[in-house]
Amino acid sequence: MRVLIIVLMTALLFAGGGNAAAGRTVVVGSKHFNEGYILAEVIAQLLEDRGFSVARKFGLGGTLVCFEALKNGQIDVYPEYSGTLATAILKLPRRVSYAELQDTLKRRFDMELLESFGFNNTYAIAVSRKLARQRELMAISDLAKFPRLRVGLSYEFLNRNDGWPGLARTYGLVVRPVGIEHGLAYQAIGEGKLDVTDVYTTDGDIKKFGLVLLEDDKHYFPQYLAAPLVRGRVNGRIIATVGELAGTITDAQMRELNAMVLLEGKSFAEVAHRFLHGAGLVTAQRARVEESKWLTLLSRTVRHLELTFIALLGGMIVAIPFGILAYRVRAISRPVMYTAGLLQTIPSIALLAFMIPLFGIGVLPAIVALFLYSLLPILRNTTAALFSIDPVLKKVSVGMGLTAQQRLRYVELPLAAPTILAGIRTAAVINIGTATLAAFIGAGGLGEPIVTGLALNDTSLILEGAIPAAILAILTEWAFEGLEKGLIPRHLLQRAAE
Amino acid sequence: MAQIVLENISKFYGEATALQDIDLAFTDLVTNAVVGPSGSGKSTLLQLINGLVRPDQGRVFVFGKPIDYQHLPELRLRAGYALQGTGLFPHMTVEANISLLARLAKWDAERIKARTEELMKLVNLPLAYAPRYPHELSGGEQQRVGLCRAMILNPEIFLLDEPFGALDPITRNEIQQEFLHLQRSEARTVILVTHDLREALKLAQRLVVLDRGCVVQHGTSAEILNNPANAFVRSFFESQLEA
Repeated sequence: MRVLIIVLMTALLFAGGGNAAAGRTVVVGSKHFNEGYILAEVIAQLLEDRGFSVARKFGLGGTLVCFEALKNGQIDVYPEYSGTLATAILKLPRRVSYAELQDTLKRRFDMELLESFGFNNTYAIAVSRKLARQRELMAISDLAKFPRLRVGLSYEFLNRNDGWPGLARTYGLVVRPVGIEHGLAYQAIGEGKLDVTDVYTTDGDIKKFGLVLLEDDKHYFPQYLAAPLVRGRVNGRIIATVGELAGTITDAQMRELNAMVLLEGKSFAEVAHRFLHGAGLVTAQRARVEESKWLTLLSRTVRHLELTFIALLGGMIVAIPFGILAYRVRAISRPVMYTAGLLQTIPSIALLAFMIPLFGIGVLPAIVALFLYSLLPILRNTTAALFSIDPVLKKVSVGMGLTAQQRLRYVELPLAAPTILAGIRTAAVINIGTATLAAFIGAGGLGEPIVTGLALNDTSLILEGAIPAAILAILTEWAFEGLEKGLIPRHLLQRAAE
Repeated sequence: MAQIVLENISKFYGEATALQDIDLAFTDLVTNAVVGPSGSGKSTLLQLINGLVRPDQGRVFVFGKPIDYQHLPELRLRAGYALQGTGLFPHMTVEANISLLARLAKWDAERIKARTEELMKLVNLPLAYAPRYPHELSGGEQQRVGLCRAMILNPEIFLLDEPFGALDPITRNEIQQEFLHLQRSEARTVILVTHDLREALKLAQRLVVLDRGCVVQHGTSAEILNNPANAFVRSFFESQLEA
């Protein structure tokens, strides 16, 4: 029992940094895609310049994770889009004005949707600069005059009701579009194999391929104005500071910032600093030195091990006694197994998402989720090992006068130990793999570069997390092998292996 | 009152009768052999005495009192138990197997060591075997370790369930000699279950003959040999001793 308390305390201690309400540190969050990281970094650096201490919870797994985290006070601010808030969060049936959106968020969630950064990241229709000049294309309505243009659209846009079907109706377009993978569309247009495609207005690729965006002159596309979404209860100075960013970034500027990261390989921090400096929002040179790669790797690895092994320890503390109980009391054996089995079938991302309303984001929910995952292997191996002990040995241990406690301590558990240890080993390796997903809920660890790498489609960044995680898994296997050799007489190990 | 008394005992496994209407007082401080064909209920009868089996009817008296089924470990510590296949704990060394009960009884280390060595010498086990694991020993050596383990607390009674059954004839003979030697040096009440009548005659002073869950005859070896109670006993003895 005392051990359990210590473990919980430790877990809470580690998770303490994630609770924004507790300290004066401002916690900035971001979703896991390029623009989200850049904007969050801009906010973070601006706050730091104004003297706030800032914690970064970047790369959170999607809109819902960010929004819930903000609602629960796990983060203080993150960049969001007006259209996303209206449709995905508030599920509003009709279009609302920005002011209405601000009102609703204030009223229902006590959140401040600040004035927009100034750009609108929505769908747009793009053509090559050459074609635009030749045909004098300025607006989407100009397209109606050229029914023979080759239109290639991303599959999502092609099929969404608020995508092509509505667009064609609104503008009276009769041209027949074909579906094409979004990434390939840019290339196709660049090589002159395609005339028209759909893009996001702030895609860095627009600049790279020299495309022109046609004006949405009938205001068909909803607005996705990017803006800081702030927790209502934070210090007014924070709101004022972040508010300075209102109207500072145009669509073209955002495209350029995105391109700097995606195409030129600059870091988010560097791009954010350049922007802030250029806009005159910060004057000082960034004092923060880039951390060395090795130090970063080390701290990620340490965090990864923290997540994995605190969860594993908790799993052992719960699963081994329950395994023993299931062995002693047959009636509960099945319910216990099925419950643990059920937990195992929940996809890891879903399990992490379930944790947010209960534990917020950060280390604690990640540990809880990993803890739940480690239960089944340990539980199953514990009961299986106990049930398979030689009945003669059980009979002797009873017959010679050992109490139930003594039998467990001196006979049953030592004999079950190799199999139990094998279960713990399985759980440890599963945990190391699953813990990489914990970065989606801001728990850090080796998943961080993986999540960022996925957002940037950057394989080397993904490997920066994946390779150490794989090495960690192998080292863990070795460590357990050593542990087995140290703890268990050789002849029993051989028997367990047979 | 004798140390071990069975009073009007019956035991059923579902429909099958394992033991029926057993009234039996074992003789103190000698070896009582329980013999009979397989399935006659020998093992069940033995396990009544240390509470591994609870009777459906009747009472078991051990050390002058009916068994208290709430406090079986206390009783069992006073009744050494060894069985076929030895049941040595594979994760413990020879020494640890023998001394387990003494360690649990919190004897001091010197006393444990002295008693362990005394027992090992008694059954002719080299002291060098102490740190070995059971699987490194021969079947006969393992059996000796099993006996030492059962004797560590110097129990007042000794329950042996076919303890020498799985051994080759030469080894069995050796251990039997050691058992007799043991009884001469530390005589106690022994209940020995065996399917081997020759072994029973060699080791025991008194015999209990079981057939299909009933005691058909009970007395000294000579009494039964000379005056078999019925045709079953006569034919059982003839078939066993001729073989």
